[in-house]
Amino acid sequence: MKVAVSYPPIVNAHGQKAMVSQNRNVQFFKTPTYLMPMVQAQAATWLKQLGHELLWDDGNAQLKSYQQWFDDLVAAQPDVIVFESTTPVMKFYWRVTDELKAKLPGTLFVMTGYHSMRKPEETCERSQTDVVLRSNHVDFVLSKLIPLIAADKNWRTNCKIEGLVIRMNDGQLRSTGHFRQVEPLEKSPLVDRDLVQWRNYAMENGNFLQMPGTYASSVIRDCMFGKCTFCRYNGPDLTFSMLPVQKSLDEYERLINDYGVKEIFDDSGVWYRGKEAREFAQGIIDRGLHKKGCYFGFNTRFEYLDEETIKLLAKANFRFVLIGLEAADDETLQRLKKGYQLQHVERSLKWMSQHGLHPHLTIMVGYYWQTREQLDGTVSFVKKLMYRGLARTLQVTLCTPLDYTPYHQECIDQKVLLTDDYDDHDMSKLIVKTPLPHAAYYQAVRDMYGIAFSPRFVARQVMYLFTWRRRDWQFLFTYSWRAIRRVRNHVFNLTRHEHSLK
Amino acid sequence: MPRGLHRVLGIDRLTDDTISLRLSRDGVEFVPGQCFNVGVPETAVNREYSSYSGMNDPELQFLIRIIAGGEVSQRLSRVKAGDLIEVDGAYGLFVIDPSLVPTTDFCFIGTGTGIAPFHCFVKSYPRLRYRIIHGTRYGAEAYNRSDYAPGSLVNCTSRDSKGDFQGRVTDYLQVQPLATAAYYYLCGNRNMINDVYDILRAKDISSSQIITEVFF
Repeated sequence: MKVAVSYPPIVNAHGQKAMVSQNRNVQFFKTPTYLMPMVQAQAATWLKQLGHELLWDDGNAQLKSYQQWFDDLVAAQPDVIVFESTTPVMKFYWRVTDELKAKLPGTLFVMTGYHSMRKPEETCERSQTDVVLRSNHVDFVLSKLIPLIAADKNWRTNCKIEGLVIRMNDGQLRSTGHFRQVEPLEKSPLVDRDLVQWRNYAMENGNFLQMPGTYASSVIRDCMFGKCTFCRYNGPDLTFSMLPVQKSLDEYERLINDYGVKEIFDDSGVWYRGKEAREFAQGIIDRGLHKKGCYFGFNTRFEYLDEETIKLLAKANFRFVLIGLEAADDETLQRLKKGYQLQHVERSLKWMSQHGLHPHLTIMVGYYWQTREQLDGTVSFVKKLMYRGLARTLQVTLCTPLDYTPYHQECIDQKVLLTDDYDDHDMSKLIVKTPLPHAAYYQAVRDMYGIAFSPRFVARQVMYLFTWRRRDWQFLFTYSWRAIRRVRNHVFNLTRHEHSLK
Repeated sequence: MPRGLHRVLGIDRLTDDTISLRLSRDGVEFVPGQCFNVGVPETAVNREYSSYSGMNDPELQFLIRIIAGGEVSQRLSRVKAGDLIEVDGAYGLFVIDPSLVPTTDFCFIGTGTGIAPFHCFVKSYPRLRYRIIHGTRYGAEAYNRSDYAPGSLVNCTSRDSKGDFQGRVTDYLQVQPLATAAYYYLCGNRNMINDVYDILRAKDISSSQIITEVFF
């Protein structure tokens, strides 16, 4: 079968492109970041290995206009088109599915992603989608579903693959039950980098200090903690699966030796910890990959990594550590179910920065309960961390309820959501009632991004030069120019709606 | 006592590498099956442990396997009665709908300390209709057997014959008839969960009746 794994270019009225960002949420940016969708890439690789014809159709990364993407896809006449959904682009996907179906009546449309997996009937009702995957294991499901479709013309009736909602020939919907929560990730193939044109994703990414960079197959799918209420990797239907350390090491070795990759990031919700983290770092050292000039990075949580493990990771040439601070008051951390205490943040960051890692903080503002004291406390705490050099970069987002996560449901139950239009969930504006005027939260965004321009912050980066670590010189003289461009982009994106919703 | 700090009331050494840590409850609420982040103060490292005690018990109790080189479990194994422990939570959705309890059969399948949430279920819901299939290496690792109703727990042992069945839980499940109307809760390492899932599906258990939680 001919299968297209497709990402249409979506451009808003400001000329910004919808880009998949943190936690695979969609935000609109003028200067896009192209993140490789790893699970879809594994699915594409697997299907190709099974003998199917694969069209890797990322209109964003391939820099196509919407019309060019649409025309090319229609011309390709695929048997199956696979999309990935999330709340702010749902309406777009429903519309484009119907437009494509009009041109390609024989093509099957498969919707994946975290919004539709929680509301599969909605997508079937609002569009001519044929199948909705409720599973996050898109690769495992498609590797069974596509061969079934190819082999059995009565697949809609006969399909026993778990976790699907299928439109039957009479228009009724058929559910095949709960999806399989745990899969043996080692059975999913490592991504065929040539198939997915990996270089399209190798440059425009703020997580890379050196280029070309790339994402590794996630070692944890999706998050071994999985309890944070705002995160899509949380729900009664989710636990986590883990890739064996040695298989991940094999991929790193191939990326460095065969593709000349200079920075590798693993975007697992939370990367290995404890025994696996140490085994991985030691494996990098044993294979000599720490001396190949390639940096490594991952997401983690506070209170997951101890100092000895961090030291070993640093020795193995790990650099970028993305870590969710979210807020600087224990009440918010408890309400978000973050599972760590504020009192340990500085110590964790000190271990990382002392050993040469570059912690990147992610912070959110605009929780529906966030008071002036909590907001100001977060801003001042973040400033303190950045000025002391305990974190090197940061990212601030507006806490936006998405994909029917527990936080989203909580906002609905508490009647604090200001809109039910999915388009408004694009993280560009606050869409919940808050104790303070929204302008206060936008100002906090500006204040935190403004740290990058502060003489105290710059002076701290200059002091880092005396560590004589190459990465610290690169950080100041190479990365900072790119970072400033991105900071301006973020500030514009997150504060332009100051008066839109009250 | 500051919020999040709980006093150690006692440590029961269940086997060479497993302890039961008993802490003051101090008003902490949880839903049976939920877990907590547990750590030793001032270490800035914690790990998730499911509650072993029931929701109405006066103490919090956790079943802890001491991992060689494990940063948290090693420290927890050295604490003494009267020490303080950091506890955050409770979290998680590996829970039972209480309305199903009186009318539904539950089959709990776990390995090692993966029995913890099932012990919590049993202690919390006196009317629970359940069966536990517990995989361990040795019969001595069938922790607190007397807490379960007679005949409700099958201990499958892979390295001695002191359990109820010699072999892995997967071996046991292969040869047992399984109720297709029951709910199956799986807790343990990912390999066990994958293998058990395949067996249950092959025996016509609906995927909607299989709920899993990975431990590692």
